[in-house]
Amino acid sequence: MSALYSSTQCPSSSSSQSPGYSSSCFYHGHQRMPISSVCTRRFGYRKLSLQFSRISCSNAVSIQEGAVATTVSPSDNETPFKKLKDELLSVTPPEEFTYVAGFDVKEDKSTVSITVVGASGDLAKKKIFPALFALYYEGCLPEHFTVFGYARSKMTDAELRNMVSRTLTCRIDKRSNSALSFGLGPVFALENCGEKMEQFLERCFYHSGQYDSQADFAELDKKLKEHEAGKVSNRLFYLSIPPNIFIDAVRCASLSSSSPNGWTRVIVEKPFGRDSESSAALTRALKQYLKEDQIFRIDHYLGKELVENLSVLRFSNLIFEPLWSRQYIRNVQLIFAEDFGTEGRGGYFDNYGIIRDIMQNHLLQILALFAMETPVSLDAEDIRNEKVKVLRSMRPLQLDDVAIGQYKSHARGGVTYPAYTDDKTVPKDSLTPTFAAAALFIDNARWDGVPFLMKAGKALHDRRAEIRVQFRHVPGNLYNRNFGTDLDQATNELVIRVQPDEAIYLKINNKVPGLGMRLDRSNLNLLYAARYSKEIPDAYERLLLDAIEGERRLFIRSDELDAAWSLFTPVLKELEEKKIVPEYYPYGCRGPVGAHYLAARYK
Amino acid sequence: MATQYSHCSSSSTAFPPSSFKNERYVYGKSVTVPTRAYFARWVSHDHSGKHFELKSSNGHPLNAVSFEDASGQRLPLSELGEPDSNLSITIVGASGDLAKKKIFPALFALFYEDCLPENFTVFGYARSKMTDEELRSMISKTLTCRIDKSENCGDKMDQFLTRCFYHSGQYNSEEHFLELDGKLEEKEAGRLSNRLFYLSIPPNIFVDVVRCASLKASSTTGWTRVIVEKPFGRDFESSGQLTRCLKQYLTEDQIFRIDHYLGKELVENLSVLRFSNLVFEPLWSRNYIRNVQLIFSEDFGTEGRGGYFDNYGIIRDIMQNHLLQILALFAMETPVSLDAEDIRNEKVKVLKSMRPLLLEDMVVGQYKGHSRGGKLYPGYTDDPTVPKNSVTPTFAAAALFINNARWDGVPFLMKAGKALHTKRAEIRVQFRHVPGNLYKRNFGTDLDKATNELVLRVQPDEAVYLKINNKVPGLGMRLDRSDLNLLYSARYPKEIPDAYERLLLDAIEGERRLFIRSDELDAAWTLFTPLLKELEDKKIAPELYPYGSRGPVGAHYLAAKHNVRWGDLSGEDS
Repeated sequence: MSALYSSTQCPSSSSSQSPGYSSSCFYHGHQRMPISSVCTRRFGYRKLSLQFSRISCSNAVSIQEGAVATTVSPSDNETPFKKLKDELLSVTPPEEFTYVAGFDVKEDKSTVSITVVGASGDLAKKKIFPALFALYYEGCLPEHFTVFGYARSKMTDAELRNMVSRTLTCRIDKRSNSALSFGLGPVFALENCGEKMEQFLERCFYHSGQYDSQADFAELDKKLKEHEAGKVSNRLFYLSIPPNIFIDAVRCASLSSSSPNGWTRVIVEKPFGRDSESSAALTRALKQYLKEDQIFRIDHYLGKELVENLSVLRFSNLIFEPLWSRQYIRNVQLIFAEDFGTEGRGGYFDNYGIIRDIMQNHLLQILALFAMETPVSLDAEDIRNEKVKVLRSMRPLQLDDVAIGQYKSHARGGVTYPAYTDDKTVPKDSLTPTFAAAALFIDNARWDGVPFLMKAGKALHDRRAEIRVQFRHVPGNLYNRNFGTDLDQATNELVIRVQPDEAIYLKINNKVPGLGMRLDRSNLNLLYAARYSKEIPDAYERLLLDAIEGERRLFIRSDELDAAWSLFTPVLKELEEKKIVPEYYPYGCRGPVGAHYLAARYK
Repeated sequence: MATQYSHCSSSSTAFPPSSFKNERYVYGKSVTVPTRAYFARWVSHDHSGKHFELKSSNGHPLNAVSFEDASGQRLPLSELGEPDSNLSITIVGASGDLAKKKIFPALFALFYEDCLPENFTVFGYARSKMTDEELRSMISKTLTCRIDKSENCGDKMDQFLTRCFYHSGQYNSEEHFLELDGKLEEKEAGRLSNRLFYLSIPPNIFVDVVRCASLKASSTTGWTRVIVEKPFGRDFESSGQLTRCLKQYLTEDQIFRIDHYLGKELVENLSVLRFSNLVFEPLWSRNYIRNVQLIFSEDFGTEGRGGYFDNYGIIRDIMQNHLLQILALFAMETPVSLDAEDIRNEKVKVLKSMRPLLLEDMVVGQYKGHSRGGKLYPGYTDDPTVPKNSVTPTFAAAALFINNARWDGVPFLMKAGKALHTKRAEIRVQFRHVPGNLYKRNFGTDLDKATNELVLRVQPDEAVYLKINNKVPGLGMRLDRSDLNLLYSARYPKEIPDAYERLLLDAIEGERRLFIRSDELDAAWTLFTPLLKELEDKKIAPELYPYGSRGPVGAHYLAAKHNVRWGDLSGEDS
């Protein structure tokens, strides 16, 4: 049983109760949240109604929308299943799950329709459809689901399927790969994958319409109803469209194609405005049509495996938590680097710049997760409450604490790399930063005085995202002499490499083997590729699944968003009003030296 | 950067302490400055001082092993060595097993790495008649070259062997040692003479040899040091007796009591890990550490050589010395400096804070015959050199406690055994569980499974790893225990020197950090003597365990009594 539930393949539970039965609320009653549990993997366990009337995996429980008033207190559900859950959730070696099938198959009475608004866009093609397929492939989608593409271009269902099919890949399990060398398994696996693709594509449909036409959305609604065939209807809209038509699409979708008897949720992507005012205006506009708990603001960095793991490291290991404060940590670095520029797609970017595009959201979210106090529980609201506290304890960013840069062209090895302003979609005189470094401070008891250094840039020498925790030097170090005068060289560092090549390593001082007493910095290493054989799911898979399940932990609440903007808005305004010229750095280099001066100031 | 320094280039004891301290920064521009010499300030710390035969402050440097110039390049010894001194190393018991397997190879390795002074001589001394040539032929069979630079190894071997000589004599004959003295003087050719005696002989002739060597073959101009191997007695009284006898002829600082476990790379690294990393020291106490395990196991028995062992048993052979030394090093307070006396002072404090062992905190075992895969493995008492009714333990597990502020209540569990299923030596630090763990549902009710563990694997396959709870990648929220790993073979391409190399070099340099001081030895025996007496007086029968098994089940009960689970048997590791 434990094997069944602890599998990564998202075994799910389904409720055999009537749709009116609410498994519980994430908000512990003060705000009713519909929840549908697809996979028992979540930690909102105690709120899940675990029923064993299900097949091995996949399957939706679906329950009510807010309008249907049913409240069952969490504890009601918890008691009967507690023991079971304890068994299910025990630590299991990653490679040891097996499937136990053969539970009764019950007819499920709910459906999920996922409508990708902006289906012909880049994100939809590259990320959303593949993520949906991966979830399907892993058995994480409910039994009854439909995927709708919605966009302005005329397209048939077949054309959409054709377009989508080109982007789908099958999860390559390294175990299958190794099995391949023995001439077993994988052939079967791949065949299976082809079938799965066919099955998935059959569930994909297309509807062409304008983003601001209620009539077109009403037509969509009709089609959705058709597919829902009288079952409880849950609807997820993924808005993969430019910000200027957000509101139109939300209005139309909400008024003309909300679910009448299940939940309706809307995933929105950044940008969430470009400063406090525009962000607040957007939130207000959205809230005309949606309630806060229907809005899922996605920050895909929060769905990254190693960002998820940050809290696990901290809170489930005794050895890290005692070190997690100003007493031991000298600084924390959040680094994002891309090794390419805008490459002809600078139109959107030029209006935002790297600070809004990366720092104010992705890096700041990671910072908040890193620095928060221990939450009461792992529930979404508890975690987000703690994150907001961090953001609100932070000092608004000062101009002095920011260094900005913009890449210029650079010729190397006979290839000339273009400058940012060579991009045809970018104004020649653009001052938009493509690089920024910033020092932030959290004025609370835990972090007072510890600089949180952020660095984000395009067209740098490598591509990576990582969190670096630099510890203080050892007071009264007996081995001082071995380090000479440079104590900086002797400090420990914990590195969480988010991408590429996910890894965690702790730099320690170690004796170099041999007769002398020489020390070096070696790593205590955990390289994911070496330890875990399965492919790591894309962040979008996790987040889509969370949205389907109503798990809000990794989505941004509006008060978080407000707090984030209040930190950055003044400095953004100042940069723009004073027309501060970014420091130019050659394409493919390590970024402007200003970043080093900034870091040096905070040692 | 690290590799540009030779690993023994640090032995710049040619400088008086005061001068090398100043020199240090000249070439100390990186983390990698070699620093053996920093520990070698023994002259100024010489606690018994007056009988000391050589003062480097008198202008007689202890030794001039090597030196590096400002660029970090080590200059050849021939250019820098102290031309006026000569080192003679006499292996007493040259035809013995240890000499052949460990001492000569270690000396050659030191020579090969240019860690020996320019003028040195190696003398073998034993009773059997042998020519120099025969000795060389015997030695040459055991020498190997370090794999990483084996080109001129043959040449080096020949050069080394020409420095090796043999003198035959009785161990209790002052006359024969006088003859040796004559030969040594001849080789020294009027240079300042430093003499190191390595006593690789049975304990019953220790004192005879020390008397003869000291009276007849001491250096008249330089230092004379004597390395002695365990056993240092078999209980508090006999050890005290031996120390008193040795001290009739030698001062404490001439006696180098070797415990080769202290020369092991990972044991040396223990202090580095602790004291040069911020992340470990805050955790190093009863607040965070639940228990510490010191584990030694061999996968073979006495195999016909049980004669010596039967008189001692595993507790004296492994626990009272090797494991206890590691424990002291692990648990000591931060020393004032890395000087030998400072470190040994702290170690003694730990030993003195410990509660003497009680019978109830000890489990003993003895292996019995076992057949597996058609092969019959003999029991301990099947060894013809062992009495049939022997109750000598070949396995022991013990729980020790340190009654000080840092370690009160933390069990230090030792386990040592022969003829077990695996061969290993390791230190395991098990941390407490996370209070109020947010993820406790993910662990179910077994909090033991959720604790962190730091493992220092001393042998084989040296490694340091830290077991952490980690999220298994994937859409679910499952945790597992993964390792933050440092596998030496992956990180450090060079072969790790044998413990004997380090210890011989230290003795040559007068570095006492890794040798056992007599007060340490006394304290160690104080802990174990009452228990050993009781075991023998009561003729406590050891629990029999099959050859090649995981040892007697009593060890598990002992651990369970202290709410501990043996880390090496958890199934996650091996």
